Amino acid sequence: MSDLAISTQGLVKVYSKVKAVDGLNLSVPRGAVYGFLGRNGAGKTTTLKMLLGLARPTAGSARVLGCDIVRQRAEILCRTAFVGENKALYDQLTPAEMVRFTRSFYPGWSDAAAEKCARQLEIPMQQKFAKLSKGNRAKVWLLLALGQAAELLLLDEPTAGLDPFMNDALLKLLAEDTAFEGRTVFFSSHHLAEVEQICDWVGIIDEGRMLLEARLDEIREHYRLVIAAGRDLPVGKTAPVVAAARNGQFSRYLVARDAEAFAAQLKSQGAAVTDVTPLSLREVFLELVRKEEPCTSGNAGVTHAVASLPF
Amino acid sequence: MILHVNPSSGLPLYLQIEAQVKQAVAAAALKADDALPSVRKLAADLRINPNTVARAYQNLERDGVIRTVPGGGCYVADGMPGLLKTEKVRRLRPHAQQIAVEGMQLRLTPEEILKLVQEELQKLGGKT
Repeated sequence: MSDLAISTQGLVKVYSKVKAVDGLNLSVPRGAVYGFLGRNGAGKTTTLKMLLGLARPTAGSARVLGCDIVRQRAEILCRTAFVGENKALYDQLTPAEMVRFTRSFYPGWSDAAAEKCARQLEIPMQQKFAKLSKGNRAKVWLLLALGQAAELLLLDEPTAGLDPFMNDALLKLLAEDTAFEGRTVFFSSHHLAEVEQICDWVGIIDEGRMLLEARLDEIREHYRLVIAAGRDLPVGKTAPVVAAARNGQFSRYLVARDAEAFAAQLKSQGAAVTDVTPLSLREVFLELVRKEEPCTSGNAGVTHAVASLPF
Repeated sequence: MILHVNPSSGLPLYLQIEAQVKQAVAAAALKADDALPSVRKLAADLRINPNTVARAYQNLERDGVIRTVPGGGCYVADGMPGLLKTEKVRRLRPHAQQIAVEGMQLRLTPEEILKLVQEELQKLGGKT
């Protein structure tokens, strides 16, 4: 049995010439709470759909809970709970009726988990779905997912539409029950603060490719931003540098480990190192997805105010 | 005991928890045999991953600060066990090193740095 809940190798999805996912490698350990991060259109939702067998990969392979995503779709759907971005449901049913309807599909359904979720998220169980607010609709989806007590919970932007208080209530539910019981939670988000709080793993993707996958404590412990001033400093991305950019005479480096040694090396090249500092997840994210400015030693110092748009 | 963590500080969360428990024990806010919240409770209270809390507790147990009773929770251990003096020094040295390096980089004088450390010791009621 694999100790990975999700693994993908070179996953590709092309939608009429647009590469939504472009050779994605993903490894989600069992029992992890994994934050799947990326900008809008980075390929998060497409990846989730492929993992559930709702979209067929153009190339590459993936396993979810040890099952092949193309050949063992049914088994994956049985053992996985999913909340997608589309929060539509049956307008004429109340949440209580939907629970009764849904529970019959899942042998492992937990009334206790569902009731706790309904209580803590303050879901109006007797109101017709059509009359519920956007936030309450999102909560009903979460209720139906958490009630399944599934081994793996896949959530696409689960906190979109929730107010800060309910957002907090959801994090508490996840921390107290789902994660505690050793289940795997994989959720996409661009709310970095909540990811930073509850996740122990993060994967950051951009343009369908994995930029960084690491344990969050590893990032806190070893990742540093090194800022140096000097002429003609290298801005290549050779280990341990994972991102580098130059702005005027200053160069900034996102370094994955041994930051002090890297800073010493820059100093030996005549640079003045102005700062070696830890970063928040938000800062790591921005350093990674920032578009590199075309900079040669000839035009170093020119800041391009307008990045070229891809359309 | 009230613990708090700052997820954005760049310091691993398990280290933040460890440091706070150690500080509470050093300041006698926590005494021997005081109970600590369970992994599940603390994770829920702080809205953090239970694995993180478990890791902090494991390290605290390894360091002899707390003891766990299987199925019965975590308690503050009876005093620091007989660690060798050399071992205690070995554990503290990296922190001393960090203070020294940071202090020099900020262009503080050695006297100013020592004074800061003494002030912190006084806050804990230690004799200097």
